[in-house]
Amino acid sequence: MSGTTSTDRDVVGGIMETANRLHRANSIGKFISDAVSVFEINFIPFLKHWYVSVLLASGTSLPWFYVTRAIAPDDPQVIRRLLAATLVFGVTLSIGMLVGQNAVAQRFMGTLRLLVSMPMSKGSYVLGSLAFSSISGVITVLVLLGFGLVAGIGINPTWALAPSLILAVLTMSGLTMFVVSFAPSLQVGNLATALLSLVLATLSPVYFTMEQAPVLLKFFGYVSPLRYAADAIEKSLSGRVDVWFELTVLAIFAVVTMSLGLWRLPWRER
Amino acid sequence: MDSPAVEVSNLSKRYSNGTLANRDISFTVEPGEFLGILGPNGAGKTTLVRQITTELIPTKGQIRVFGIDGLSRPNEVKHYMGIMPQEASLYFGLSIRHHLSIFGKLRGLPAKLASRRAEELIADLRLEEHRDKPADQLSGGLRRRLLLGIASVADPPLLILDEPSAALDPEARHYLWDFLHKTHRQGSTIILTTHNMLEAEELCDRVGIVQDGSWLAHDTVARLKAAHGYEYKLTFDSKEGVETIYGSDDRTLVQQVQAQGIRQYTVSQTTLEDVYLSLTRERNVSTRGED
Repeated sequence: MSGTTSTDRDVVGGIMETANRLHRANSIGKFISDAVSVFEINFIPFLKHWYVSVLLASGTSLPWFYVTRAIAPDDPQVIRRLLAATLVFGVTLSIGMLVGQNAVAQRFMGTLRLLVSMPMSKGSYVLGSLAFSSISGVITVLVLLGFGLVAGIGINPTWALAPSLILAVLTMSGLTMFVVSFAPSLQVGNLATALLSLVLATLSPVYFTMEQAPVLLKFFGYVSPLRYAADAIEKSLSGRVDVWFELTVLAIFAVVTMSLGLWRLPWRER
Repeated sequence: MDSPAVEVSNLSKRYSNGTLANRDISFTVEPGEFLGILGPNGAGKTTLVRQITTELIPTKGQIRVFGIDGLSRPNEVKHYMGIMPQEASLYFGLSIRHHLSIFGKLRGLPAKLASRRAEELIADLRLEEHRDKPADQLSGGLRRRLLLGIASVADPPLLILDEPSAALDPEARHYLWDFLHKTHRQGSTIILTTHNMLEAEELCDRVGIVQDGSWLAHDTVARLKAAHGYEYKLTFDSKEGVETIYGSDDRTLVQQVQAQGIRQYTVSQTTLEDVYLSLTRERNVSTRGED
């Protein structure tokens, strides 16, 4: 624009100064605020049909626990293992599936392009999605633990329960994000998240211990994060806090899978 | 603020399937300028724009936005841009008001300011009667207006709009033009892709023409017409059908046809469309020649 006047330059300078101010405000506060905004994006539509999600979160885990309980021996330790396994199944897999399905849906429906156009990081997007998906996980935990106490199942939860669940959730979410990033369509993505969760839950020594597992599943148990999650949760429900080994393994899994999931999140296209 | 708003140097993009979508494109956009990018479908306009917005990584070349390297610092660059992608969708469960306030916060506005700005934009874009409707109940035109609102919610110094008037009816298009005029007057640099020549003539300080991924021309509409000797056109009936001849002087054109004994003709000023068609046809002919 060859004929730019000093007035034009003042106007342009003014608008640049506003943008610079917003840019300078970028910090940890912006990261958290972005995560809250992503949470809002998911939470506002959820409020219209909240009861469906609450019913699903509370209604699917309990029957699952009953089915496994019916075919298991009447041993308090076995019942605690089943409760721990149902927590793993109901909480980590449902949150992981929600995060994965959310990512794949936003990618193929075009809404992710709107978020990508904003000055925000992948990390804040994932944190916001995780926070939203955790709503159903928290409901499941409350329902299952409440039921355990009311039904007289001998549980004595310790502080170790929270980090065990959080690390297991992070591991599964990272893994599903990584797997769905290869999906060529929305349908394949949804199918992949569901299959991944089911296959991991059924093959890992979750509902049974490593000692009870057949030889082939034992090998799988050594590398399955869900087995370590179930072990840590079972211990923490028994009033124990000696879960450092399981927490360390889960933390390594969480770092690796989250890094892979974030790396593959399509923020920039090649 | 001495740097150009956008500086594109030797930009090429080859997709993994082998398609060369942009070929060695270079141009600059000065702060406060309104640039229109014209080109037929599949010319490479959207690929070019998506590289400037950092969404797509170029195969070769450099892009700087207000002096900042868009390739190595994409998040920083996005602080200065409002982007209206061509194919983005809205969140169906969120209303117009929710979209504008949430995306205002994502652009860094404090919550109260984002809400106030949302209300201003609802008025500016004439969306008052739809403000609380969820996005899935909006028509295509209303969705485009909302996407424009999201792009401009934080008054960015650079606004990049990929075919903003697509799917708009004539009335909505004129509201859009009023809005863009106002935004431009307030100091924003604007880059817009369009098929609509009238839109480019009406809004843009300069236009760039893209075809087959190449940057064919870049100048003001008046200079493009003059440079190609197309300031006037004369149309007449001949045995072969309707013929059009171009020239920089209307009297010379009239003398030319009168010398051939033609008495019925129409003389008019050429439009951007004439320049565009001529440039893209020349390019087609030269490309066929190379083949």
